[in-house]
This record gives sequence, structure tokens and C-alpha cells, in this order.
Amino acid sequence: MCNLLLALRAELIKFKHSKVFLISAIAFALVPVMSGVFMLVMRHSAAAAKASLLSAKMEMMSVSADWDALFMILTQGMGVGGIMVFGFTASWIFGREYSDSTVKDLLSLPTSRATILNAKYIACFLWSIALAIVNVGLGVAIGLLLQLPGFDGEHAFACLRGYFSTTFLTLLLGTPVAFLAIWGKGYLSPLAFVALTLVFSQIIAAVGYGQYFPWAVPALHSGIGGEQPPLNNLSYLTVAAVAVAGYYASIFYWKHTDYQK
Amino acid sequence: MNIIETANITKRFKPLTALDNISIRVGEGEIYGFLGLNGAGKTTLIRILLGMVTPTAGAVKLFGKSLDKRFDRWNSIGYLVETPCAYPNLSVVENLHVYHSLRQLTDKKLIANIIERLNLAHYADTKAKHLSLGNQQRLGLAKALMHSPKLLILDEPVNGLDPEGIVEIRGLLKELSASGTTVFLSSHILGEISKLASRIAIIHYGKLLDELNADELHERLIKKTLVKTNDNKRAAACLNAAQYHAALGDGEIAVSDKKAVEKPEEVAKRLVENGFSVKQLYVFTENLEQYFLRTIRGKENV
Repeated sequence: MCNLLLALRAELIKFKHSKVFLISAIAFALVPVMSGVFMLVMRHSAAAAKASLLSAKMEMMSVSADWDALFMILTQGMGVGGIMVFGFTASWIFGREYSDSTVKDLLSLPTSRATILNAKYIACFLWSIALAIVNVGLGVAIGLLLQLPGFDGEHAFACLRGYFSTTFLTLLLGTPVAFLAIWGKGYLSPLAFVALTLVFSQIIAAVGYGQYFPWAVPALHSGIGGEQPPLNNLSYLTVAAVAVAGYYASIFYWKHTDYQK
Repeated sequence: MNIIETANITKRFKPLTALDNISIRVGEGEIYGFLGLNGAGKTTLIRILLGMVTPTAGAVKLFGKSLDKRFDRWNSIGYLVETPCAYPNLSVVENLHVYHSLRQLTDKKLIANIIERLNLAHYADTKAKHLSLGNQQRLGLAKALMHSPKLLILDEPVNGLDPEGIVEIRGLLKELSASGTTVFLSSHILGEISKLASRIAIIHYGKLLDELNADELHERLIKKTLVKTNDNKRAAACLNAAQYHAALGDGEIAVSDKKAVEKPEEVAKRLVENGFSVKQLYVFTENLEQYFLRTIRGKENV
């Protein structure tokens, strides 16, 4: 445990002076900012008339200017955007050792290879949770600023539960990204993989099988699916299976492959 | 006790055999120089010694312990493999803090000490990406030496260093060796190896061609007395008549007898007594670079 904490400390030192957290936080902040804009447009009919395309889109989404709608957009943003932003985070944490050629300095140490990888997973988890909290915090701040109606404690708790359960599902899908960063020895393979999963999620969900495609499950869980078939236990099981397989594949490969470069 | 012991190490990257039956032993306090051209297999062997590459066949022992999953002497080893790399956005101190944690060290002074020892104090807060190549090399050495290892494995340790830095690192390695640290190093700069190593191995196309200590190397280096006179042709004939083996070279006479090398003044005396003017006379000794090339070319011609 002590070794894991020391390895985690080493990972956290690597975050210092990193612009990647700021970049990912800004990218993620687009969701609450856009939801604020939606709310603002909905509440001012003059603005809605000027932004006819935006108001048409909102009418299509049946969005009203209240807390329910704000949390719905935040949660759906997490279901889709989370795959991308968390994938970016995992690619950076696991792939940078190859891009910076520092991987060779992590292999012959008293701290085991598995411990170093576990520390990376924890750092990735903490980072992603921090991003999710910043994101929802910004959303709440915007909601308070706009004085949205319909806020009560119990309701807020239910909304937050939906938001963080979607966050958790999205986070679980980070392990195959980590594996691909190690296997592909850099950022390119995992980022290409994240882009592909987003495309396939859209296509597979559109033909009605999204509930069995792990990368579509967080978005469907967030309620983005509309008329889609509901998620079932098997849907959540596929996400768990992908997470476990990704984790063990990354540990196995990291421990046993030859490091020639 | 042998600090490094390899038994018939073979590594194949199909269809290439990178290492072919390499068996070496390195004793405590030795500075072992490992020579080879690019692609000879030096770095592959170094990576095998560090557990980064698994050999196809053969076994490695470090400190008498098999290099396997249970090996637990990693804090007795410091290493620098190929180009030194660091986290570019972290300063020198922060980079060292990363490895201080991963090596599970407790003494915080180790970082300040190694920075001082490798003359990095001026750059302690400079980000690694802004360091010169020489200072990046110093940072790599600082990571390798911070925990005072008993075995140092260094791949091209003086790459990028200026002449002053080379002398400084040479002194540091000699000092470490004198205090019992075993140093295993590869280098392209053969002159550097010859100044440092107590034993030398030559590897070529994955095969160990030669392994010898400093005395054996001295014995095997070609030595000859080279002379320039006012009439080289006649002077060579004169020396041959006096039972020397003199050959005419490019503007000079090469006398390769042991007696000519040991007592060059006798050669000069003989020539002067026979009326020749000696313009230049010196004993030539082959350097490590020439010996290395002669060894690998000799093997290629077999």
C-alpha cells in the first residue's frame, strides 16, 4: 500500500506544469456553458427568435429552462463527451511515457511494474472525477446565475446520482484506452480508438443495438437515447467486462512485453 | 563474487539473432567496457541485464541472484540506457523527485547531494526540456546515481558531454569503482573506454569476439618503432642486416621486433654508427580503436 502511495505521488508530480488538465477542463466546460446558453435563449423569447436554429434544436430536444433540463444536458454531455475527454486523459497518462521515452526508466525499479500501472489508473480516476466535479460545479454555478426554477435538495440528489453514475460508466471504459496506449506505444492508437468508438456508438445505437455496445451504454444511460430499447443487466455487464478485460490486458502486456525502444 | 553473470544468453528477433551465446562475468569493483558497432547487440544485452527484454535462451544472475520475478535488488542497480530522457515539463529537482518516490527512498538529502555532485545546482529549477544535451546527460546520470547503487549499467555515459564534463564523469566513475561499485558501460568512444575499463569485451553481430583485461590488452596491442632517416631504403637494409625486421612504410621505417620496441635507443645507435642521420624515432602503440577494428575485421575475414 505504501509503495502504491509513493507511486501515486510520482504520478501526481508528473501533473505539475501540465497544460493537459486545463485543456481537458476547458473542453469539458463547453457542455455547461452551452447548456447555459440554451437556458438563456429559452427564457428570452426575443433571443430565441434571433437564434431560430438553436431554439428549433431545443424544441426538438423538449428542453425547458429549468434545473431538470440543465442536469439532463450535463449528464448527456458526460455520456458522450466523457468518452472523448476521459479517453484523452487516459491516452496522455499512459501514452506519454512512450512519447517522452521515459518508459525505460520505470521498468527496473523496486516499485513493481503492476504498482506503477495501478498508480496510473488511480491518477487517471482522480483526474477524471476532478473534471466531472468541475463540470457539474460550473453547471450549477451557471444555473444559480440564471436563477433557474425547480431546484430542491431531493431532486438535485437524483440528478447528481444520474450524472455521477454516467460518469462512472464512462470511466470504466478507460481501461481499453490505457491498454492501447501501452500496446501502441504512444497517443495515436488510443485516440484513434476513442474516435472510432464514438462513431460506432452512433451507428450501432441508430440501428437499435446500442444497449449491447459498451461504448454506447453511458450515453443511453444518460437518457440520450429517447425511443431506444432500454438498457438491461447485460448492457451493464458488457461495460464491466470491457473494463476488466482492458485492465488485465494492460497489466499483462506492461509486465511481460520486451522493451526494445 | 560475480556481480554480473550471464550464461549462454541468446536473443532472437526473427529472423535476426541479436545475441548469440553470450557468457560474461563481471566482478565487484570492476569497470567493464563493452564495445561493438551499432547493432552489434550491446543495448540488447544491457536491456536483458535490466529485465527489460527476456532472453530467448540463457540465464542472468545479478549479485548472485537469478534475474526473475523474485529479483529484489533493483535499488542496488543504477542505469542509463541510450539517450537520457526526462519529463520535459518538470524541472531537474521534480524529475529526481519522481524517481526518489519510485525507488522508495526516504532520505530527502539524496536529491540535493546528487545535484551538487553532478554540478546541476545552477539548473535545479530548470525544466528538463530547456537543458542542453550535456545537462540532460547529467540528469540521466543523477537518476542512475542518486541512490548510491552497487552496480551501474551505463549505455554511452559521456554522450553529449563537453571535454570538461567527460573528464569529470571519468573521474566520478573511477572514484565509484575505487569504492567498490561495479560499472558496466558501453561506449562508441573507444578512447574513453581505454581510459576507464579494467576489462573489455568486444561484441560483433551478436557474438562475443574477445574479452580481455587491461594487461592482456596491453600485450595484444601492436607496437613498433618508427624511424625516419636521410635514406630510409638503405637504413632499412642496414637494420635487416643487423637482425631487425624493418619494413619500409609511408616515408618511414617500421621496426616491429620486441627488442626494437623495448630498446629504441639501440636502433638509433645502430643507424648513427652506420652513418645515417636519424630525423625522427618513436615507439608507436596501437590504440583501442585500431585494435577493435583489427579484431572485428579479422573475424569478418575468417
